[in-house]
Amino acid sequence: MANFNIDSTKARTYDAIVIGSGISGGWSAKELTEKGLKTLVLERGRDVQHIKDYPTTNMMPWEFEHRERLPKEITDANPIAARCYNFKESSAHFFAKDNEHPYIQEKPFDWIRGYQVGGKSLLWARQTQRWSKYDFEGPARDKFAVEWPIGYDDIAPWYSHVEKFAGITGNKDGIDTLPDGEFLAPHDLNCVEKYFKESVSKQYKDRHIIIGRAAHITDPQQIHLDQGRAKCQHRTICERGCPFGGYFSSNSSTIPWAMKTGNMTLRPHSVVHSIIYDDKKHKATGVRVIDANTKEMMEFYADIIFLNAAALNSNLVLLNSTSSRFPNGLGNDSGVLGKYVAFHNYRASISGEYEGFLDSTTDGRRPNSGYIPRFRNVHKQETDFLRGYAAGFGANRQTYNERNGLGESLKAGLLETKYGNWSVGSHMMGETIPKESSYVALDKTQKDPFGMPMLKINVGYDDNDEKMIKDYIEQVSEMFTQAGFKNVKSHDGHRNPGNDIHEMGGARMGKDPKTSVLNKWNQLHACKNVFVTDGACMTSTSTQNPSLTYMALSARAVDYAVKEMKAKNL
Amino acid sequence: MERRVALKSMAMAVGAMAGLPAWASGWSKSTLEKGTLLTADQSKILAAMVETIIPKTDTPGAGELGVGGFVQKMVTDCYDSKAQASLKSGVSNLDEQSIQRFGKSYSDAGKEQRMQLLQDIDKGSDTGQKAFLGMVKNLTIQGYMSSEYVMTNLTHYEMIPARYHGCVPVTKG
Repeated sequence: MANFNIDSTKARTYDAIVIGSGISGGWSAKELTEKGLKTLVLERGRDVQHIKDYPTTNMMPWEFEHRERLPKEITDANPIAARCYNFKESSAHFFAKDNEHPYIQEKPFDWIRGYQVGGKSLLWARQTQRWSKYDFEGPARDKFAVEWPIGYDDIAPWYSHVEKFAGITGNKDGIDTLPDGEFLAPHDLNCVEKYFKESVSKQYKDRHIIIGRAAHITDPQQIHLDQGRAKCQHRTICERGCPFGGYFSSNSSTIPWAMKTGNMTLRPHSVVHSIIYDDKKHKATGVRVIDANTKEMMEFYADIIFLNAAALNSNLVLLNSTSSRFPNGLGNDSGVLGKYVAFHNYRASISGEYEGFLDSTTDGRRPNSGYIPRFRNVHKQETDFLRGYAAGFGANRQTYNERNGLGESLKAGLLETKYGNWSVGSHMMGETIPKESSYVALDKTQKDPFGMPMLKINVGYDDNDEKMIKDYIEQVSEMFTQAGFKNVKSHDGHRNPGNDIHEMGGARMGKDPKTSVLNKWNQLHACKNVFVTDGACMTSTSTQNPSLTYMALSARAVDYAVKEMKAKNL
Repeated sequence: MERRVALKSMAMAVGAMAGLPAWASGWSKSTLEKGTLLTADQSKILAAMVETIIPKTDTPGAGELGVGGFVQKMVTDCYDSKAQASLKSGVSNLDEQSIQRFGKSYSDAGKEQRMQLLQDIDKGSDTGQKAFLGMVKNLTIQGYMSSEYVMTNLTHYEMIPARYHGCVPVTKG
């Protein structure tokens, strides 16, 4: 690449480069461009423009020729993606295809990916809880992984910052394990969910049932209207892309906002090969990119680089960014890069029925559900496993149609909706422990179709997870039984790690450069102009869904980076 | 390069998915038009069968609503080869039974004759034919209940409810 002329180099030079356009990349782009930086956003997949590129968003159920089920040929060719709950006829085009993007599973790991502008922000389940101080203090108190270099107070203002813009529905519940945020009007809990809330609060001081906090605009504010977004219409077909912008996605919110500043250049079809490190300048000078269509290698240059490729891909890019200064991957002086990967454990669920409130039902649809914040080992260690779990909780009035017989009696049965009992259900969301033995690494010989080394993933469940599953089943079954729910059944689905889509770590934050990759500003300890603010940065995993934290960390890191750049410290 | 050519031909093959850009229709089955599982005559028998399962009353039956085509499409595209074989042989066996007992093809048999043949399978001991009937019945119910006619006129599907109320009285519908 040494033969680029000077004009060409100039044309490929920006103030900042953002690698990835998903939840965290979108936020990095928005904040950087708002602060006036000419920013190049690189996305490995195709462009997906809000509304225009949501081909299924307004299709009626009968317009799907297989009624949402995917042809066998597609599920057979994509066994990993096909295990994801959201991989269906209406949304499959937002998933990366297994056979086009191979990786190596040293242990079973369902790596679910969205390779397009907006990434997985088009597909997410939109739950957005803040972490609490107990989550940030976890590793230090319970002596695992390393201490977080930040606490709740460091990030709280940034949670507020991103919540106001993204639009989060929720109720101010005043629970210390789950700090309140800047909420729009809450969704309703239904009668059985409210009844369960009362039942639980009678039995336990520290267990709560609340309505989920989710990235839906229930009550649009000027800042949302300015983004061209409108109120959530309760269609509950969010995974097709929402034409109203009723839920937060990069496509409806941060990316067009960044584009409007005039400072953003978006380059889709750009598979990032590595970050270029200049041994003489002691900093990164740019990014090497493989054009996904032509396979041509090219370089782009910038003063600061935000790596937001999604957790495992950000690890891959850093590991593949080698130089004489960093032979084992950019910023990897400690040797921990790629290690201490963890995830969320969604394996177990519990179901039951309630025979009360039989004269009541629900009306409309709700893109949200109830939530049980973590209650185990919060204030002190009280069980034989570390950390804890949150849980989803929801109730629905069962309806059914008689399907007996054939002919006119069958037809009559089908068209008369009958009400059964209420069904109730819960699923666990467990914190897993980042360990050195849970790692991703580059394969030395095998390459993917883009010529990148294949990523090896070695992440599995451990004894702590098994004990936690058992405890969740015992505790929540007990809560169900106390509430008088009948036919209570638990289920361990034994899903593979990764299927929860919350993989985290590998380039963890920490105080000590000897044991961590990033400092408290999400900045590489050893290469100050590179920042990682997606799931790769996470020191531990908490029980809360991680997306809101990625957004807040991204905005916070950009604020710091731009100040440092102006002070000529980068 | 090969992939691009493949995508292009795929886009041409799926005229039925008009209105979707190439990258979206790339997800629909490239071989959707590879031909149907059943012959034209067998398709007629299947249509008569789904109409017998959910017949015309004061509203259209499953046959008129094209549910036979849906059943065949689902089995062709989404089911394994065993289920496909079961559909084929099930339809043939049903027709043979009809010819044997009533001297005419299932598609030409009277309403009551058709029903009797299905009820005999239902009560009979041929597990293969029972499984065939069960599969067709389930898909017929799915296709009928999710048809435009039923969802628009009978069950009143709401695309955009714009609300959620957590506790309302049950109304007798």
